[in-house]
Amino acid sequence: MLCMGKNDHATIRAILSGDKEAYGALVRQHSPSLFRVAWRITGNEADAEEVVQEALLRGYRKLETFESRANFGTWIYRIAVRCALDRVSCRTRDGESRVGEDRIGEDRGQDEAQVADEAAGPERLLLSGEIAALQDLALQELTTTERTAFLLRHMEGRSGEEIAQALGILPNAAKQAVFRAVQKLRRSLAALRVKA
Amino acid sequence: MNHLSNADLVEHYYGAGPSGAGAHLARCAGCARMFAALRSGLDEIQASEPPERDASYGDRVWASIAPALPRYAIEKKSLLRSIPLRRGLSYAAACALLLAGAFFAGRVWEQHQQSSKIVVNWQAPASAPPARQQVVVVVLGDHLDRSERLLVELKHADAGSTETIAPLRDEARTLLAANKGFREEAAQADNPELAIALKHLDGLLVQLANRPGGLNAEALAKLQAEMNSDRLLFEVRVLRSRNPELKVRVTQPMSGGTI
Repeated sequence: MLCMGKNDHATIRAILSGDKEAYGALVRQHSPSLFRVAWRITGNEADAEEVVQEALLRGYRKLETFESRANFGTWIYRIAVRCALDRVSCRTRDGESRVGEDRIGEDRGQDEAQVADEAAGPERLLLSGEIAALQDLALQELTTTERTAFLLRHMEGRSGEEIAQALGILPNAAKQAVFRAVQKLRRSLAALRVKA
Repeated sequence: MNHLSNADLVEHYYGAGPSGAGAHLARCAGCARMFAALRSGLDEIQASEPPERDASYGDRVWASIAPALPRYAIEKKSLLRSIPLRRGLSYAAACALLLAGAFFAGRVWEQHQQSSKIVVNWQAPASAPPARQQVVVVVLGDHLDRSERLLVELKHADAGSTETIAPLRDEARTLLAANKGFREEAAQADNPELAIALKHLDGLLVQLANRPGGLNAEALAKLQAEMNSDRLLFEVRVLRSRNPELKVRVTQPMSGGTI
């Protein structure tokens, strides 16, 4: 959970008054958490790093619209989620497909995209016994909203309200997205186990 | 409490279920069994840990984006940064501009209207005259229009009423100067029809303006008879329709009021 430093507001006032270097403190404070969520959504280290930079750039340019009562951490986190989703969307449009990303036991530092392998079906994955690969495969079958909502809920520990803000949807819609994701994942994983 | 729905169970798993969900699960074996299955499945989905970032990661990010960041201008008074206030000021400025434009256009139009009919100049006295005079440009159409009104009023005037006669006399004096100018203009322009009609009008104006002792009933009746016999009113109306744009410069005392 991100905490809003009490000094964040003072820092933002300083930035808006012309102290550009003050933004460095916010960057250093929030970069790790932004990288974390960007990696969850993009599934790729290089993409995640670019998302962090893009989100912080966007945040700086929109700083005048930041409301003083808001939490900067939550605000910039939301921007990072949007940036990550945009990147995933672009990747999908470009016809690039990822299966299991770099979490299926392969080199995580590998930047190049992993093209979908037709042979990498459930049977092969089950035979290899890699449960993480099954999960990733099941996650890929979710819609972008469901997958992101589930990742934020299950792995990032975000509340329904925070997920709704990050995705730009209503809290109830966020709750439903998480529920649908859980149902689909359970069905997918159960079916894969039966086959195994 | 009713049985928990699947959505409630999911929410409860993440610590955000309906109040009393825990107590219900403790009492209801069916719901407890469903929740156990759900928890087992979700517990299996382990959160993969992102690659570790070292302590200098934030510094690297800052170093990579800092050159691309423009410096914000020194913040002005916060009131001026208020978007609603700026919007309000914009509306006010637009309204003020509109009003100023309308006022200016009105002034220009008014001046244009006046200058198309009358141009008034002050003429400096040559050698301390007893009263200042003004030179006016009179349009024949206006002159005949005023003459026509005078004739109509004269036709229906009551000789016993001083209040009626006095304004007619003043108006006749004012019209005399212009009428003289138009007569000269008509003579130079070789317009005998206009010159004759203006001569008739001149005669009547002279009598009306300068009759010693003013107008009594007898004098008024005589003027009315002359006016009718000369069909002066009809002539004035015809001339007005034929020569609306002719102008003459007329000098008259300022105390004369309007032309």
